[in-house]
Amino acid sequence: MTERYLILEDGSAYAGKAFGSLATTTGEIVANSTMNGYQEIISNQIYHNQIIVFTQSSIGNTGLDQNAYESILPTAKGVIVREYENLATDHFKRISLDRYLKQHKIPGIYDVDTREIRHHLQRRGNMKASIVDVADDHAFDQLHATVLTNQQVAQVATPKPFPNPDEGANVVVVDFGLKSGILRELSHRNCNVTVVPWNFTSEQILDLDPDGIVLSTGPGSPANLPQSVLTMITEVQTQAPLFAIGLGHELFALANNAKVYKLAVEHHGSNHPIREIITNEIFFSGQEQGYAVDPKSIDHASLFITHVDLVNGTVQGLRHRDYPAFSVQFSPDGAPGPKDSVGLFDDFMEFMSRRSDNNDDRY
Amino acid sequence: MTIDIKKVLLLGGGPTNIGHENELDAAAFERLMALKKTGAKIIYVDNNPFSVTSEEIQPANVYVQEVNFQNVINIIDKEKPDAIMATQGGLNAMQIAWQLAESGILASNNISLLGIKPADLRKVIDNQKLRDLLTEIDEKVIASKIVADDDEAMDFVREVGFPVIVKPMSASHDTSRFICNNTDELEDALDVSFKRTYIKRCSIEQSIVGYKEIEMVGIRDANGNKILISGMEDMDPIGIHSGDSIIFAPTQTLINEEYQALRTATFRIMDALNVTGTCHVQFAQSRTDANYFVTKVSPFFTRNTILAAKSTGYPLTYVSSFLELGYNLTEIKLPSKYSKFLAFMEPTMDHVVVKIPLWPFRDITDVDQHLNTLMKSVGSTIGVGRTVEEAIIKAMHSSQFSPRDILPSVSKVNDDDVINQLIHPLASRILILMEALRRGFSIDELSELTQIDRFYFYKLNQLLRAQDYVVNNPLSPQSVEIGHKYGFGDGMLAELWQVNISTIQRMNHNVKNQVTYKAIEPSAGEFMEATNIFYSSYELENESKPFAEKSALVIGRGGNQLGPNSAADYYTAQVLISLHKAGYKTIIMNTNPNAVSLTPQLSDKEYIEPIQLGNILNIVDLEKPDIVFLPGNRHYLSEQLKQFEDLNIVVLPPDQKVATYNQKKATTAVDLFIEGDEVLPVATISFVGKDQRTDLRLINDYKEPMDHWQTDEADLIADAVKKVDSSKWQGLVQILYNTTGDSNYEMTGIRPVRITETAFLTKTTGINWVRVLVRKYLGILDMKSLREQLTPTQHQRSSTMIAKFPFRELQSRQSEGTTKQEVGSAISFKNFES
Repeated sequence: MTERYLILEDGSAYAGKAFGSLATTTGEIVANSTMNGYQEIISNQIYHNQIIVFTQSSIGNTGLDQNAYESILPTAKGVIVREYENLATDHFKRISLDRYLKQHKIPGIYDVDTREIRHHLQRRGNMKASIVDVADDHAFDQLHATVLTNQQVAQVATPKPFPNPDEGANVVVVDFGLKSGILRELSHRNCNVTVVPWNFTSEQILDLDPDGIVLSTGPGSPANLPQSVLTMITEVQTQAPLFAIGLGHELFALANNAKVYKLAVEHHGSNHPIREIITNEIFFSGQEQGYAVDPKSIDHASLFITHVDLVNGTVQGLRHRDYPAFSVQFSPDGAPGPKDSVGLFDDFMEFMSRRSDNNDDRY
Repeated sequence: MTIDIKKVLLLGGGPTNIGHENELDAAAFERLMALKKTGAKIIYVDNNPFSVTSEEIQPANVYVQEVNFQNVINIIDKEKPDAIMATQGGLNAMQIAWQLAESGILASNNISLLGIKPADLRKVIDNQKLRDLLTEIDEKVIASKIVADDDEAMDFVREVGFPVIVKPMSASHDTSRFICNNTDELEDALDVSFKRTYIKRCSIEQSIVGYKEIEMVGIRDANGNKILISGMEDMDPIGIHSGDSIIFAPTQTLINEEYQALRTATFRIMDALNVTGTCHVQFAQSRTDANYFVTKVSPFFTRNTILAAKSTGYPLTYVSSFLELGYNLTEIKLPSKYSKFLAFMEPTMDHVVVKIPLWPFRDITDVDQHLNTLMKSVGSTIGVGRTVEEAIIKAMHSSQFSPRDILPSVSKVNDDDVINQLIHPLASRILILMEALRRGFSIDELSELTQIDRFYFYKLNQLLRAQDYVVNNPLSPQSVEIGHKYGFGDGMLAELWQVNISTIQRMNHNVKNQVTYKAIEPSAGEFMEATNIFYSSYELENESKPFAEKSALVIGRGGNQLGPNSAADYYTAQVLISLHKAGYKTIIMNTNPNAVSLTPQLSDKEYIEPIQLGNILNIVDLEKPDIVFLPGNRHYLSEQLKQFEDLNIVVLPPDQKVATYNQKKATTAVDLFIEGDEVLPVATISFVGKDQRTDLRLINDYKEPMDHWQTDEADLIADAVKKVDSSKWQGLVQILYNTTGDSNYEMTGIRPVRITETAFLTKTTGINWVRVLVRKYLGILDMKSLREQLTPTQHQRSSTMIAKFPFRELQSRQSEGTTKQEVGSAISFKNFES
């Protein structure tokens, strides 16, 4: 077993054993504390340019499930775990973790003290890291010199629109690095989906005659996207029900004049209670978040806060006062994570059906 | 909205037995700590002499009585409580709560039942109502029918086909289920089941043998907020009782979609039942598709509810007490050592917990030793590690009967028997699985034969490879590293290589990773607040810091077996309490998830580590305790530890090997307490046994004071004081006598007072004798106050302690047992007429 190293921007180095690809990579390092769903996590495009530290002690105990990919071409920069298994068990026999990572050129390191790394990141905050063969000065120099792209969305989102036909409501999904869980939930509800590139204009979108519009999840900072995206949002939100998730939520906030800040430590997990303000109920959901909407910046004439994270106080949901437009920071599709809030997709359906009722009245 | 309660009646768990150990006492104890904060007056009923809880409550508020319907009614009449808490009393207490509700007693006395409303409780107790409810919320249940006779059962089988499972309804304990593959087996099962049911009804159901068994423990508040505490996976498939199965936390072989479906189902069930507090739901999960069935719903404390809490470090009992009182999750204030967010965060684990059951077949031999739907284990032990292998090996260390630090082996079993045992598993299941791998069975074959997921065989195979490497490369630094990585402790390496442990300790200086301790806490490292519960792993970061204050290490008993084990656990808990009161920081080491001595409030720090020399020395090395207590009779371990002269070790009670006997018979005893050259009489005891048995081995039942105390006691005490030599005997000592009647007593022996009897003495005299002993060995005993408290010849009441044996539960034909076969005891008091 080849010994390889995880090195961090602050000079730390961890020796471990290699699995998956033997590529040398650099990315931001983040810890994810969700206990199930390694496959959904690795294949989520939100991890483009990131190295994922799993706090769950073992991944790969089951083979990969055809129905659990969040994208077909994963773009994570590395996987760090205490222990990995290379099993294709029982009903998931097709492909094992090691083969999957090799196929997609993602390096992995196991047999490292991931709990220590988690503590380290909690104390020191976000930073860059590399997976390398030798932890020498040269490797650290390379790491420090690497400038990570800020064009993540353009790199992972679809360049061309494509349909996912069905017979229900006409939904346009704007792809910023879409996770399949969103499409799965829309499919369950028979939506006739068209996925369009992130840089589609409001005109291009509205020409598709949507009953509703979804702004998808995606990687990186919302500030990396051009003003044209925000313009698109302000234009479409007046025309059709809008549901924004993750990066989409951050963009929706920016489009409505709120501000977004970077968290000192990214939060990836499903253990934080999220409070729905109107009902005072708490629930859990997958959260993969590096940025948050600044509650002080919210213009209460146009937006109000619907959900908050009870642990770190971050805004987890917004709604527009004038239009049927709402957004959540977390992933209600539960891929991975609890399905407690999957009903938000039904709320979206409800908005769309109310709109078509209104339209019927009009004609 | 919180419920305003002035007086609450807590129902205890009763004597320990198969199906429940001290975990119910531990739950009651934690609950007590929570309730004290509300200012409510607490009434407690329990007849378990090894209950720590009953000693923490004002004696006037403790009813030492059997927890049954009639006794509870009497207590209600007298005390007029405004609420009843039953969930910590297990199934028995829940059934009493149900009877109280059905008979209208709760309503007419205006008593609220906490945790679950009577109407909802009915849906849980009555199998058919539960099925209706689950069907109503679209959760799948297995086809099932309640039958009153054999004909009805046969009709059902004609419809659904074999295999089927037969269960008696409203049976006294929850363990009886019989798988029937043909008509003969069905007839036998019906025969046994109809004898056991109180209401002459049995349930018969479709069998789902071979499905995975998954367990979920959740909590819910009155507002409907829910948290999943932990999912657990039984390694053994449905068909082997969950109590007899090796259990892993977290689940190992479920994909996210499957896991979330079961989590959501658990929440829906809790909502449908309006549970406020804890709920344990068991599922059968198909191996080949997403299909699952709900198999059991327990909205009260079970062994695995406690295991979920132990595995995650979540303060479940504490929180659920407040939930039952109507608090919302966000309103609960945790003790200061926890992060303030912890109560309402969903636990996430970065370690693995493996629970291995312990079976009583060494002590009770005339029972069917096959593992099936009837629970047979009497205890269990957990191993905690950062990897599955580490956790398995640690649990195996702790689950063997030998006190030596070896891996047991079954290499002598012949091939036919191996195959036979793969299909019809016996208690040593995991060893047979490993042996089969060693003999070259393929993983696919094994998985097919056993219905155990292939994942587990991969893991066992890796363990075998590691073991082979370590055995074949003795005394190499790399072997030490591999041994450490896979959970072989230093003691086991020493045994494998047949060298002294100090040799291994010297080698440790040359290996890369030293032993580190990781916290068991529910945030997977997100918060730095420690729960002060640790396990070892050979990694980078050590999180356990030694105390600056003076400290004491108490070495717990480990998993329960038959014999005085629950008493030893009680004794251990009392040692901890006493040391704490004497100003020590206390450190407990134990592996029994059901131990009352592992209640978080009872110690300053816990180590969940195998009770083996190597593990003990590592902890001693880090903690440098001022004193080490070894409660319980453990000759091998105490001899091993005594070799280390730096250790200040106190063995309590003193080793039974020092006892001297003229003959091993007795009818009567005088218990004395000896400090220096002062001898204080404590009590006189009559041994009561059926058939006038006087053989010491067979004596399990005690009465205080002795028979004929009015005439014989004073003389016998005087004789005993005269006979004991204080230069040889210290502490609690028992002088044994045999009587032939007519006030004629012959001294037959002298021995330290045993653990079970120490608990009995504490309950009868009202003096905490464990505390007295601890203070004696710490040199801080106040003899004056002890003298004043002791009134050995004044008697207002007689006390009786009767041992319980698990013969009926195990379907053994034995009726009277030896001290080694005890599973628990019951105590009762009777006032003398004045």
